[in-house]
Amino acid sequence: MALKPLEIYKLLPKKNCKECGDPTCLTFAMKLAGGKAKPEACPYLDENAKTILGASTRPPVRKIRIGVGERAVTIGEELVQFRHEKSFFHEPGIFMAVTDLMTPGAIQERVIFVRDEILTRVGTDLRLNGIAVRSVNGSPTAFTKAVEAVEAVADLPEVLMAGDPAVMEAGLSVCGNYRPLLHAATSSQYWEMCRLAKKYACPLAIRADSLDALAELSGLCSAEGIENLVLDLSSLSLSEQLNRSTAVRQHAVSRKTPALGHPVCIDTAVSGLPDAALIAGVTKFGSVLICDDLSSASRKALLVLRQNIYTDPQKPIQITPGLYRVGSPGKDAPVLLTVNFSLTFFTLQGYLEASRVPCFMLIVDTEGLSVLTAVASGKLQETLVRDAIAKYNLSAEVAHKRLIIPGYAAPLSGRIEDATGWKVLVGPRDAADISEFLEKEWKG
Amino acid sequence: MPTVTFLPSFRKTEVPKGSTILEAAQKAGFHMNVVCGGQGKCGKCSVMVRSGEIDFDREKYGDFYTDEEASQGFCLSCQTRINGDLRVLIPEGSLVQEQQILVDSPGVPLEINPAVWKYALTLSPPTLDDQSPDLTRLLWGIEKSGGPKEGSIYAPLEVIREIPKVLRESGWRITATVALVPGGYRMINVEKGDTTSHSYGAAVDLGTTTVVVYIRSLIDGSIVGTGSNYNRQISCGEDILSRVNYAKRGGLEKLQALAVESINAALTAASNSAGIDRDDVYEVVVAGNTIMTHILMGIDPAYMIEEPYVPVVRRYLTTAARRVGLVVGKNSGLFIFPAVSDFIGGDIIADILASGMAESNDISLLIDIGTNFEVVLGNRDWMFACAGAAGPALEGGEVLFGMRANPGAIEQVSLDLRTLKPSFRTIRNQRPRGLCGSGLIDLLAELLRSCIIDRTGRINTAIAHERIRQGRQVPEFVVAWKEETAIGKDIVITENDIKALIMSKASILAACQTLMNQAGIGREEIARIYFSGAFGNYINKDHAITIGLIPEIPVERVTTIGNGAIAGANIALLNRRKKRVIDEIARKIAYIELNADPTFMDEYTGSCFLPHTDLSLFPGVEKMLDQCRILREQS
Amino acid sequence: MGVSTLSEWTGRIGELVIGATAKDGGTRSHSVTIGGEEDLPYIGIPPSGHRPLVAYELSDDPELWPAAATRFIGDRVHDTAEWVAHADREYQPDLIRLYLSSTRERNFSDISRIGETVESVLQATELPLIIEGSNDPAIDSAVFQKIGEAAEGERILLGTAEAGHYRSVAAAAMAYGHSVIAQSPIDINLAKQLNILLRETGLSPDRIAIDPYTGALGYGFEYSYSVMERIRYSALKGDSDLAMPMISSAIDSLVVKEVREADEGDACPTAVAWEIYAMLPATIAGASIVCVRHPLSIEPLKTAIAALWNGEPKGGM
Repeated sequence: MALKPLEIYKLLPKKNCKECGDPTCLTFAMKLAGGKAKPEACPYLDENAKTILGASTRPPVRKIRIGVGERAVTIGEELVQFRHEKSFFHEPGIFMAVTDLMTPGAIQERVIFVRDEILTRVGTDLRLNGIAVRSVNGSPTAFTKAVEAVEAVADLPEVLMAGDPAVMEAGLSVCGNYRPLLHAATSSQYWEMCRLAKKYACPLAIRADSLDALAELSGLCSAEGIENLVLDLSSLSLSEQLNRSTAVRQHAVSRKTPALGHPVCIDTAVSGLPDAALIAGVTKFGSVLICDDLSSASRKALLVLRQNIYTDPQKPIQITPGLYRVGSPGKDAPVLLTVNFSLTFFTLQGYLEASRVPCFMLIVDTEGLSVLTAVASGKLQETLVRDAIAKYNLSAEVAHKRLIIPGYAAPLSGRIEDATGWKVLVGPRDAADISEFLEKEWKG
Repeated sequence: MPTVTFLPSFRKTEVPKGSTILEAAQKAGFHMNVVCGGQGKCGKCSVMVRSGEIDFDREKYGDFYTDEEASQGFCLSCQTRINGDLRVLIPEGSLVQEQQILVDSPGVPLEINPAVWKYALTLSPPTLDDQSPDLTRLLWGIEKSGGPKEGSIYAPLEVIREIPKVLRESGWRITATVALVPGGYRMINVEKGDTTSHSYGAAVDLGTTTVVVYIRSLIDGSIVGTGSNYNRQISCGEDILSRVNYAKRGGLEKLQALAVESINAALTAASNSAGIDRDDVYEVVVAGNTIMTHILMGIDPAYMIEEPYVPVVRRYLTTAARRVGLVVGKNSGLFIFPAVSDFIGGDIIADILASGMAESNDISLLIDIGTNFEVVLGNRDWMFACAGAAGPALEGGEVLFGMRANPGAIEQVSLDLRTLKPSFRTIRNQRPRGLCGSGLIDLLAELLRSCIIDRTGRINTAIAHERIRQGRQVPEFVVAWKEETAIGKDIVITENDIKALIMSKASILAACQTLMNQAGIGREEIARIYFSGAFGNYINKDHAITIGLIPEIPVERVTTIGNGAIAGANIALLNRRKKRVIDEIARKIAYIELNADPTFMDEYTGSCFLPHTDLSLFPGVEKMLDQCRILREQS
Repeated sequence: MGVSTLSEWTGRIGELVIGATAKDGGTRSHSVTIGGEEDLPYIGIPPSGHRPLVAYELSDDPELWPAAATRFIGDRVHDTAEWVAHADREYQPDLIRLYLSSTRERNFSDISRIGETVESVLQATELPLIIEGSNDPAIDSAVFQKIGEAAEGERILLGTAEAGHYRSVAAAAMAYGHSVIAQSPIDINLAKQLNILLRETGLSPDRIAIDPYTGALGYGFEYSYSVMERIRYSALKGDSDLAMPMISSAIDSLVVKEVREADEGDACPTAVAWEIYAMLPATIAGASIVCVRHPLSIEPLKTAIAALWNGEPKGGM
């Protein structure tokens, strides 16, 4: 429940002393509300204000790190139930499972795949995050061997999945220093698991039949001194998984049940419908997702879905401004102007590729605003276009002086012509119509 | 040098070869209409060259003229170079037209506490026994007659130079003028005799298009004279951005000179109407937008229109009026209202001061509408402000038959809900030439009430009525048949016009909503809405609420304060204590950059609807529209 | 303690019926009802309202259809009725969504052919139908009248009303007893505005399905996802102008770069994954009808929806 600037302002001393670095208490309050300042910056807060402001700025879902080194995964620290309310912050870690029944060779093949496979989209590398090691055999030795096989080829974050504390300890003897997630404590052995978690300073997943029991277990583990808890909500039924994860997030962000203020783990193999469980996990509050083998198609779609859901909805993804080529455009190829909002760029690019007309895309810097917004706010201006034409030396690329602008930028057409000396053709509003437009207006 | 003769007045001027016709016209004293600032973009400065040699690129500017017009000699005066003696006709449309200007007294109760005092003194001449110097004698005199202590008054050299002569020639009966300036008391004038009844100050609104001057008695606060004038910078571009561009191209000095010239001309008019001597004006207080005040001070405004949009100064400025070129009393002070950001300038601070909202516990919303708009929300404790571009539609721009509030502009319209027949009133009751802002708002509200347009502004062409028809590109509604008009054409409003209006009103409402969201204030908590600026004065408040230009609050709590800039300047002139309030306001305002506010675009799309997508924000309007709908269905 | 989902909602999503059986004057084997939810999607055991449905999309002009989709159908794509019958039999979608894409041809004027196509499709399947008409003000009125008339009594869902042209669709729907898809470009305000406009034409709210426009996975899907969540949230909070069921179709799924450029062997699974990984999340965000073009997407999507709906089938570990 974020406080409004004015509500925060009322808690401040209203001295305008500038000691926080801001000119007035109100501007400081605006920064606090936007999470751009910390309450401690104000030396004159009373206790009441400190309590309220402190509570409203502490994330309701605990932040936890799994693994060490550059591939370590940070989860939790979430503030909201819906991404549109602010944003989801930490992408769920996706852990591919191996078992101690597999040969070391088979294990390593999978580990190396997770280690090396990269999908690059929108300038970002998307990858799976780590390895979950399942104890199926039941013997500590077998588990040790499996963990050793993992460790031999990669220092990826790990989830150690063993219900028997003795087996768990055997695994920890190999990788205990690399902060694996211990999976999972239950009401019957939690103190043993807590002892291990404390000894190796590892986060601990907990599991129970009901959310009530889970909240109680969370309290018991806290009492043992273990705060870095992950709630395992894997269910046989997807309906139950979704209902539980929703309830947990609701209780966490409303601070109704602080014992549930922890990230959620889902073993997506449990339901028998791994794709659906992964989709439900990514969209609805999973922070650790464990899966068995994934098809190449599912893996790609999953990584892209995760990227989509965890994009900051208030910060559009931007494309580097510049001159982009579609196909191998020649001197007489059309030049299409558009903005550097990634969605606009990729949509147009997709349709241009489909149209099979080689062309140039002139991408101007509207700070990620869409065409409509950029026109409305005045970010897209003729000077921007003029400067881009000069900067990317368009005259050297094409032998004509005709520029196609987006349909929504039509009001600027005259001004762009004046500023650039280029003839402006107003293109369609919808990128889907670009092929037809090029066919009719450009060639014709 | 070639001589240019302007028709039909036969006014002549000489300019160097290669000058533009525009420059020649300005030199000859014509107020040319130059919307684009002389960049050859707007076509408003067209002239007809009747004879003589010119240089004009017909090909480049071919779009502006038909072949027939070209053969008649039409050309863009700003892009036409003079090669020899010329005869040029300036069509009336290329000249800036006389407009309705507000010179209203705001009616805010005034406390008279000026920063200037006059002391009439009869001093004893020095003798061999009394050898105190002239100045000391004078200062003691002031102290004795109740003025500031002798040691606390600073006398500048230029005043001291005057003293011996004035004292002796007047027979030691003089009047000294003392002003309170940031450094303390300052003697600004010494003159013969008792002139205490001649103590005046000038309040100035330096607007982008208009300059307004009030001359007031600093003794009783009465208005002794007013004057107004066009801001002569208009010849360098109509809007603020073209002015900044002009300054960038090396025109700052010229702009500064034109600003001063415009104020001086208005001062002349005001002092003439008052029948006073301009040397008796002892203080000038100027409120203007950020760019205007910066230009007046000769400070380059170019950096302000770039991120992060900081003004050079955020406190009020004082200097000697003559230093910037204002023709008033020799040592008179000039007080310039502070600016908060590129868009929240001294004019808005003056609005706030005039509304009184900064001294009230109640929460008020202040809206200043022009091509740009500014919105301020707050009370004595806190204040949020934002600014944005509303587009020119509300001022009649970008609307097919839109026009400024000139004679012949339809300023009020109503529609008969049954017959859909419009009745309207025009400025000066002339035959209609077009629609100005207030008329457009009326029309929009009436089209909505009569269900001719839907809430997104689309005309329902399914209604069979002679006034609803398909125009050249989009549907349109005929407001006046050509037989009724002064232009020989049907005056219509098109669907595109309506959309432009909705987009304009949406930016303003969205700005209000964004500030209210930031503050967590609902419309019920707003005690008052103040409209400032010329536009607000003529606006129908009910209609402004109907179309969702402003949040719905009881209409009697919507107040227009007219020209808030001149009102604020008057208040500061007459009550020096308000100058502290002014600085407090400037410090208190938290400026919100709408472009950086993630909720603004959401509010904007929500506001692109009549009156708003969230109908519950306008319960009264909804009730009224329901009734209208029933009435329409009956007929 | 009793920890469960928090449901402090006051609103309810309206119900929309598609298809009419002989009893109601139509020829469908059954009708389907969507909407009726009183909580977030799938929340509650059992959840409130009706299970989301899967519609299979096809077109009367296969030239305009993605090859990834038509490849499976073979020559049948040239006979719309046969295509429909085949899809109904082989892939068992809950609904058929027919795009009369032929109306997008330049200077299209063969209105009577539209009527014939609709009639033949009504013959070919007994499933409830969604039919998409033209997008050109010059012919909209005639096209929608013709579709409405040809399907009179069948209670179809008729698309698509947009803010720029909604009157002709609404008029045809009201005249012949159909419902309307109200599409707006990924914005909660625009979705609500269109619903208000449609309401003010006299169209009853239980005859509207909201289509907030859905970007393909990786191509703006997240915007659509959040708009759907916001619409559902506002409706549950009591905004009756948004309390209509939603239909979602990521129409570009099969032409995105990832699908176009997939390796030969991976092309089909990628196409299916791209549809499922957008459409299942769409139901989680609140869509009541999700649409696919790849026939192999239908079965797994229906299975996943059922599992989220009532926990069946259950996993077995």
